[in-house]
Amino acid sequence: MATHELPYIAAIEEAIREEMERDDSVLYFGQNIATHENDPFLKQFGGDRVRVTPISETAEIGMAVGTAIAGFRPVVELYMAEFMLVAMDQVVNEANRFHYMSKGQVKVPLVLKAGYGFTCGWAGQHTGTIYGMFTGVPGLKVVVPATAADAKGLMTAAIRDDNPVCYFHHYLLTLEHGDVPDGEHVVPLGRANVVREGADVTIVAIGWCLGKALAAAEQLAANGVEAEVIDPRTVAPLDTDTILASVAKTGRLVVVDQSTRHGSVAAVIAAEVADAGFGSLKAPVKLVTALDATVPYSEPMEAYLLPDEAKVADAVHQVLGNAPVAA
Amino acid sequence: MPTNGLDRERLTWIFTQMQRIREFEERVKRTFEDHPGTIRGHTHLADGAEASIVGSLAALEPDDQLLATYRCHGYPIALGTDPKLLMAEIYGRADGICGGYGGSMHLTDVSRGFLGTSGIVGQGIPQATGAAYAAQIRGRGQVVLSFFGDGASKQGAFHESLNIASLWKLPIVYVMENNNYNVVTRVEQEDANAAAGEPLAVKAKGYSMPGHTVDGGDPVAVYDTVSAAVERARSGGGPTLVESLVYRLSAHGNIIAPPGVPLHYPEHEAITVFGNKEEYEAALRGDPVPRFRAKLVTEGVLSAEEADAIAEAARAEMEGAVKFGLASPFPPAEDAVKYVYA
Amino acid sequence: MPPVQTEEGLELLRSMWRIRVFEERVGALARANEVHGLIHLSVGQEAVAVGVCGALRDDDAVYSNHRAHGHALAKGASPAKVLAELMGREGGLCRGLGGSMHLVDVEHGLLGATGVVGGNIPLALGSALAAKLGGSDAVAVVFFGDGAVQGGIFVESVNLATLWRLPVLLVCENNGFAEFTPRSAHTTVERVSDVVAPYGIARETVDGNDVVAVRDAFTRFLGAARAGEGPALLECLTHRLRGHYEGDPQRYREALAEEEWQRLDPILRLQRALAVEGGEFEAEAREEVEAAERLARASPFPPASLTAELAYA
Repeated sequence: MATHELPYIAAIEEAIREEMERDDSVLYFGQNIATHENDPFLKQFGGDRVRVTPISETAEIGMAVGTAIAGFRPVVELYMAEFMLVAMDQVVNEANRFHYMSKGQVKVPLVLKAGYGFTCGWAGQHTGTIYGMFTGVPGLKVVVPATAADAKGLMTAAIRDDNPVCYFHHYLLTLEHGDVPDGEHVVPLGRANVVREGADVTIVAIGWCLGKALAAAEQLAANGVEAEVIDPRTVAPLDTDTILASVAKTGRLVVVDQSTRHGSVAAVIAAEVADAGFGSLKAPVKLVTALDATVPYSEPMEAYLLPDEAKVADAVHQVLGNAPVAA
Repeated sequence: MPTNGLDRERLTWIFTQMQRIREFEERVKRTFEDHPGTIRGHTHLADGAEASIVGSLAALEPDDQLLATYRCHGYPIALGTDPKLLMAEIYGRADGICGGYGGSMHLTDVSRGFLGTSGIVGQGIPQATGAAYAAQIRGRGQVVLSFFGDGASKQGAFHESLNIASLWKLPIVYVMENNNYNVVTRVEQEDANAAAGEPLAVKAKGYSMPGHTVDGGDPVAVYDTVSAAVERARSGGGPTLVESLVYRLSAHGNIIAPPGVPLHYPEHEAITVFGNKEEYEAALRGDPVPRFRAKLVTEGVLSAEEADAIAEAARAEMEGAVKFGLASPFPPAEDAVKYVYA
Repeated sequence: MPPVQTEEGLELLRSMWRIRVFEERVGALARANEVHGLIHLSVGQEAVAVGVCGALRDDDAVYSNHRAHGHALAKGASPAKVLAELMGREGGLCRGLGGSMHLVDVEHGLLGATGVVGGNIPLALGSALAAKLGGSDAVAVVFFGDGAVQGGIFVESVNLATLWRLPVLLVCENNGFAEFTPRSAHTTVERVSDVVAPYGIARETVDGNDVVAVRDAFTRFLGAARAGEGPALLECLTHRLRGHYEGDPQRYREALAEEEWQRLDPILRLQRALAVEGGEFEAEAREEVEAAERLARASPFPPASLTAELAYA
């Protein structure tokens, strides 16, 4: 398969641009975009389809709902997941319910594009991993790409999907290069990816944690433990079948998620496996998540809070029944 | 004798719709007594606002669109949706306009341009603004009406939407139905402009937008104001804020109670909370439906017999809607998990 | 520039120099990677911080935004503690937990900076309400930029502050830009004071680079608020002399020419008005910042377990 190399952020932009080329009904608006006449999106698609908005998230997302109901397919640039919180009603109480409450008379095909998980001293209100707040919301889909190829494929799929989709892209992955397939590239929503095969333990890792899990897997391989690493890619709806099939093979599960423990998708995955895959399990499911605190500013404290390779490897050793590796 | 460019046919149409809305709302209210248990949850009636609703909708073309609040029964009736389907929806039946999925607060008829409602105060305003943005892109000359109450004008969503609509010159008219109450709160208790004795339309100045206050009990005055605003929007002149003064004749809604307590409509909050019987009685005397009837009969647009016949037909029609609703089956329980995703 | 008592003028000048030198040093430390994260400097906007905060007491609450260093220093926060915070040290105002956008100094009434635009405007209303209910004549002040004015949270707050006659002073630093877009991309209404005019709130627009004009107008509103006359909005027209954040390539506007800088810089303007050179204030400020840096560097990084300790009260 022919590919081209792109950084994660460019892969997302490529998807938006190609969909806007393919479909006139796709719009792109939000704060701080297209403010000067040389902006490439503005030049290519014009000021009707590409617009800058004031700092007005409630209006931005509410308007996206309105334009979607009226037949367009808006992509809203929100920059940070936290900025969606100010307009939470429009996301979890409006966009997601219109189709249902009208018995299908309207569709709300929109994409809310927001970055998350920054760390790096952005502290307090800019560093959360909050996709867990949007899962389990009826009618709302949530995707969390971890690679450039998936970043493109999931954005394409999200724009084409007739439902509201929260598209969360990880800040720390912004400049990560990856091979993106040439031509039309669609990654279906709701389908996990088995990134690395193995028979000894299943590690499900979300977003930025995928890299941590793969690094841990290399470490573990050197010690003779072969981990199967799965990237869910979509966290709502969740592809539990792929995870269950893997656990049936390995019997052991570690889930890695940058969210806080009880706000994590990891907790949901663990519950699903405990429910439908109990017979396969040879050990309890272990979660590696952020600790339950606001991400602090100072570097050593920040690192203490977050998942890393050592913590993943440690969890694997626990489910294998070995003594934990010294940190 | 035509009134303000509205000929006899249009005036009759306006009166007829007002009468139909009134009869529909009366039947909804009576259902609580006559058929207890049939309506669940919370309903909100438009009695007293008929002139404002119909006067506004009379200014629209078939391709225009609107969004409204949970107090939504009146709009689809005037737009031509079959009231049987509306009553069935309020009764939670399969034949309801939304198949029983939405209920009283979410009567939606996209085929007639009624794109939907929100149960959350103020949140339909940005949605209507988005529909207007879509209309602008399409360039077919469509206009969008955004209906909301005075309470919504304190929501950030109001501020954000009006600013953007003005900045982008969107083809939208914001119609604020100011009935002076937000459930049990009077507007002067929650609005700085009202507390200072000013009309709420002054808020428009903060958005470089024209703002007008109109007697929402006079459908012709409403039609005049809204149609001028619609023309402005249609010709690319941008948005307008219209403050339509109405008085709702029923309480905010039926009582909210846990299962087991029979639901009903209490007396108006003017009386139950503020002890202001005079205000309520004055409002009854100024009831826009008989008031418009009297004007048309006096001015010879309609004879008393014609007016009576219209009222009688409306009553019969809405009684039919009740019968239809009661006879309509409930949707199958397992349908609850359909329509989650498109 | 209105006439100013030389002594008061010199005090204002000293305060502005303290902030200027501090911010320049933070910029250098950020470039050297010793200060991390997203840093927004107040270079060029010192007159507002000094004009406003210098008139306040410790029991007056101040809320700030992402561009908070100037407000913090002007409200009395120790430069050593602010710098230690920016360097993530235990001795920082918030023990390294908050960083640049989350400075808190309760002792001096700095109840918080925030990174969410307009996010703490209602909090200022709360502080004002508490003061009023407690029978004190303390006021609350909240700083925000012109970008915050289009947010719903702003107008909700204006309505309520006016309705309840709260002693809250809304100070808008209108520098014509919200991040990377000019005001004209955000709204049709140029002056923030025109946006709030329909609410009848007391309001004034001043040259935000004229520290004396800021001090004058603010003192009038302050007196009225303390006397129970209700809220006010002070719109300070100012200029951000640097990018939105440190590292902002600023492709969205022309670089300021040297003559422009000379004309706009609040420090240079005051020096011209007072006919002083300012060298001694700069030197004094430099000494203070150097001492602050020594103290900050001497402070250790906080223990990792601190995060768990502080999750709940």
